[in-house]
Amino acid sequence: MARPRGTDGSLLSSLPWAIGALAISIAPHLPYLPVWIIVAFGGCSLWRYLVEKRRRALPSVWFRALLALACFFGVLMTYHTISGVGPGSALLAIMASLKLLETRKRRDQFVLLFIAIFLVMSSILREQYLWSLPYMIISVLVIMTAWLRLSATAKETARQSAATGGRLLLYTAPLAIAMWIFFPRLATPFWAVPMDTGTATSGISDAMSPGDISKLSMSNAVAFRVKFDDEIPAPRDRYWRGLVLTVFNGRTWSMNDPYEGPRVHEKVSGQGDPIGYQITLEPTRQQWVFALDMPWSWTLESTFMGPQHQLARAQPVDQRIAYDAVSYLEYKTNVDLTEYARSWYQRIPKTSDPRTQALAQQMRGAAGSDKSYIEAVLHKFNNEEYFYTLEPPPLGNNPTDRFLFDTRRGFCEHYASAFAVMMRAAGIPARIVLGYHGGEVNPMGGHLIVRQSDAHAWNEIWLEGHGWYRIDPTAAVAPDRIEYGASDATLDGLAAAWGFSATSALMLRLSLTFDAINAKWNDWILAYGPDKQNKFMQWLGMDNPDWQKMMLTMIGLLVILIAVISLLLAMRYRAPAKDRAAILYRHFTRKIGLQPEVGETAERFAQRAAKSSSVPPAAIDSVTAAYLDARYGPNDGSALAHLKNAVHAIA
Amino acid sequence: MSSIQWPFPSPGRFLGFVRTRAITRVRRWARNRQGTDSATTRLRPGRVYILPTGVGIVFAIMAFAMLLGSMNYNNNLSFVLTFLLTGIGFVSMHQCQRNLVGLDLTYAGTEPVFAGQTIRFGIAVTNHSKSARYGIRVYHEDTQSDIQDLQPGESKIFVLAVSTEQRGRISLERFGIRTLFPFELFRSWAWLHMDIGGVVYPRPAEHAPEPPATMMAHGHRQHDARGEEDFAGLRKYQHGDSPRHVAWKAFARSGQLLSKQFAGADTSSQWFDFDHIPTDDVEQRLSILTRWIIDADRTGEDYGLRLPGVEYEPAHGEAHRRACLEKLAMFRSGSR
Repeated sequence: MARPRGTDGSLLSSLPWAIGALAISIAPHLPYLPVWIIVAFGGCSLWRYLVEKRRRALPSVWFRALLALACFFGVLMTYHTISGVGPGSALLAIMASLKLLETRKRRDQFVLLFIAIFLVMSSILREQYLWSLPYMIISVLVIMTAWLRLSATAKETARQSAATGGRLLLYTAPLAIAMWIFFPRLATPFWAVPMDTGTATSGISDAMSPGDISKLSMSNAVAFRVKFDDEIPAPRDRYWRGLVLTVFNGRTWSMNDPYEGPRVHEKVSGQGDPIGYQITLEPTRQQWVFALDMPWSWTLESTFMGPQHQLARAQPVDQRIAYDAVSYLEYKTNVDLTEYARSWYQRIPKTSDPRTQALAQQMRGAAGSDKSYIEAVLHKFNNEEYFYTLEPPPLGNNPTDRFLFDTRRGFCEHYASAFAVMMRAAGIPARIVLGYHGGEVNPMGGHLIVRQSDAHAWNEIWLEGHGWYRIDPTAAVAPDRIEYGASDATLDGLAAAWGFSATSALMLRLSLTFDAINAKWNDWILAYGPDKQNKFMQWLGMDNPDWQKMMLTMIGLLVILIAVISLLLAMRYRAPAKDRAAILYRHFTRKIGLQPEVGETAERFAQRAAKSSSVPPAAIDSVTAAYLDARYGPNDGSALAHLKNAVHAIA
Repeated sequence: MSSIQWPFPSPGRFLGFVRTRAITRVRRWARNRQGTDSATTRLRPGRVYILPTGVGIVFAIMAFAMLLGSMNYNNNLSFVLTFLLTGIGFVSMHQCQRNLVGLDLTYAGTEPVFAGQTIRFGIAVTNHSKSARYGIRVYHEDTQSDIQDLQPGESKIFVLAVSTEQRGRISLERFGIRTLFPFELFRSWAWLHMDIGGVVYPRPAEHAPEPPATMMAHGHRQHDARGEEDFAGLRKYQHGDSPRHVAWKAFARSGQLLSKQFAGADTSSQWFDFDHIPTDDVEQRLSILTRWIIDADRTGEDYGLRLPGVEYEPAHGEAHRRACLEKLAMFRSGSR
């Protein structure tokens, strides 16, 4: 049971590499790991190294068991769970630290390297940036070098091991690429994925409470990128429709229950030219799928359009996905509204916001028609002292009253909410659409970048004889917001995301270039799903690609590639044809009718042959001398000629 | 119900039996297809076998788990990692086999030992190719040589130390060469069947009776009993001269090793006779003879060996010792 705990320094050539491999695979987890785990790993690594270097003893079993227990509870206390990527990688890091303290034999280090591989895997599941691929390849190279160090003899240098590892990885590259391209991708996962990746969800929430949040976070994170088939539409037309809020409780706007609310699908008919584009959507962990208002068709499996033209997917968007869509910038919805739906879209709490309700009734009465009433409200927002700000004061009770009459400061949510309340108070069906507006064009990639800071809320109101009609009250307050985009200076926002001020045009160029590369990376590598694979297979000339065809192609390609690699290896390790000297010597032994015995040197054989053969000893001696010269002397060919003559001289 | 007795008490025993049977079968198959190897044998690809190791199997299971994970998360980067590791598996399989293919193995000889000692067989392995070979090891049954690397053009001796129990000829019917390079995911090996053998002398008796004093033998001149006293002069020391005869005073003066020469006999000589040893046990007799020969050789005295049917005239020196001990090693009581 009790294993000897002493160390003899025999791991000194491999242990630092194993520790290095662990360090490089833990590094991407650092921002997410609690400090104590990082300290534990660093401490254990240093401790283990010093133990080996000074040939001390490892800590006792009891100590290690206590430490393991403490660490396990530490993880439990920190995360309150042990499943998911976050706690999982924390546990892996802890396991690596503890395993280091009981690594005594060479073979124990295999466990360390397996842990390192899993750490690399979990860091990739967590995030996939542009640098993730090169970093992963470097990690694999270090792990494989450490792996080679485990069995390397004392004479083999680390540089040789790294060179061998690099060479093998180079052979592996074509195999990996072939498998990556042809291995069939699944449209749906086997089992539901717990998507706790440790990062906060960014994106649009499915409810809206103007005044609760007093500061809108301006996240520069990319929401999605759009590549248009033709011209990019003008900024004022770039409304990216997401979800629709129809229920207001006086404070919060939310979606209606799908089994309550208006369930009749509104018909829509497009006008003008259809616009085709492709969207690469960043993971949101939500079901919403965004498309240019008004979406007409889309190529994304298990994605449906709700009754209010909101696109939703059956599973949350856990991975970056790409889809094609077609939209109409101008459209007409159905003109009739059921009685039930009409009352649904007019509903506001009777008692809340009395001042707003009174104002609405008064203004509606003065306006005479719905149309002129709408114009009057927009005019009010435009001409009175209302300000667009991203840092509005909090509103408290009766938020709409407070906003309209007192604070008069807000961003899109405030205006959309106030406008909708004003409409509903006057009996006009109204709702709020959440999505994005705008987006900046990246001239390098020719695509449009839509960021989280472009998130927007606007209204749709129902007009008799016209149907649903989009109105953006924020435009009345801050027309620039609609003309040019969310950030007054997008350059600022973009550059700030990368840590520079926008004063330098070079920096802007750099960040745009980076974004263009990033877009291609997302487009081609990360979003390579069933659809893209299918398209790529068709482009390669495979008709009706299915998984059997892809699998067969992959296996065929692998067989060919492995054959080529085998051939390369064979050439590399080819022994030269048996040397001429040996062949001539064989002739000689055959001529004199004797065979050298196992382990008999040429000289001894010559002595024996001289005694028992009829060939004159002088001839045997000259052949032997020439043979030894050709075999071990300077390699200039003259010795070989001598040997040849000497052998031929024997009859 | 069944009248046939299942002969294995536990599944482990059964598996062990199956395994042993399978290994024997495979070895016999390899022996038949390869034939006997010549003194120098080059490893051709067809005779270098390969199987995954335990680490390799764990690695494969891990890669498969990672594939499932990648498919489930539909994560293209983890697909890259998975396929990279899978590819490393494929490549290391070929690399492992190629690490042995083309090596030249030559039997490099052995030295006789006494029973109970370990006999060491040297196997010279030469790498004629232009690439280094790593982590090579030669093995036989349970014994194995050190692990060594072979740089391009390099030749190294791998030593197989085999423990011996009985005198006689010990032959290495089969030995192997193997490697786990590069990642220990696979083990590739080759079996060689060379005509390799060594001689194991009898175990020297620990308590041997005093060797017979200068003995009379039929037809041989009796040695002068006073032989050693008649100092005749000095000659240059020769290998095998008894240290007792070295002129140490002369050595102290001149620094030159000289041997004293005596009149009557060059050295004393004695006969060791198998039939005149006071024990009935053949092996015991051989052990005693071995002890006598070792002692006599150490002192540099001449000795003759008489076995049933064979006689070695008194002499001394390495060749004589070797010949005598070898005869004892090969002695068969039946040859009487």
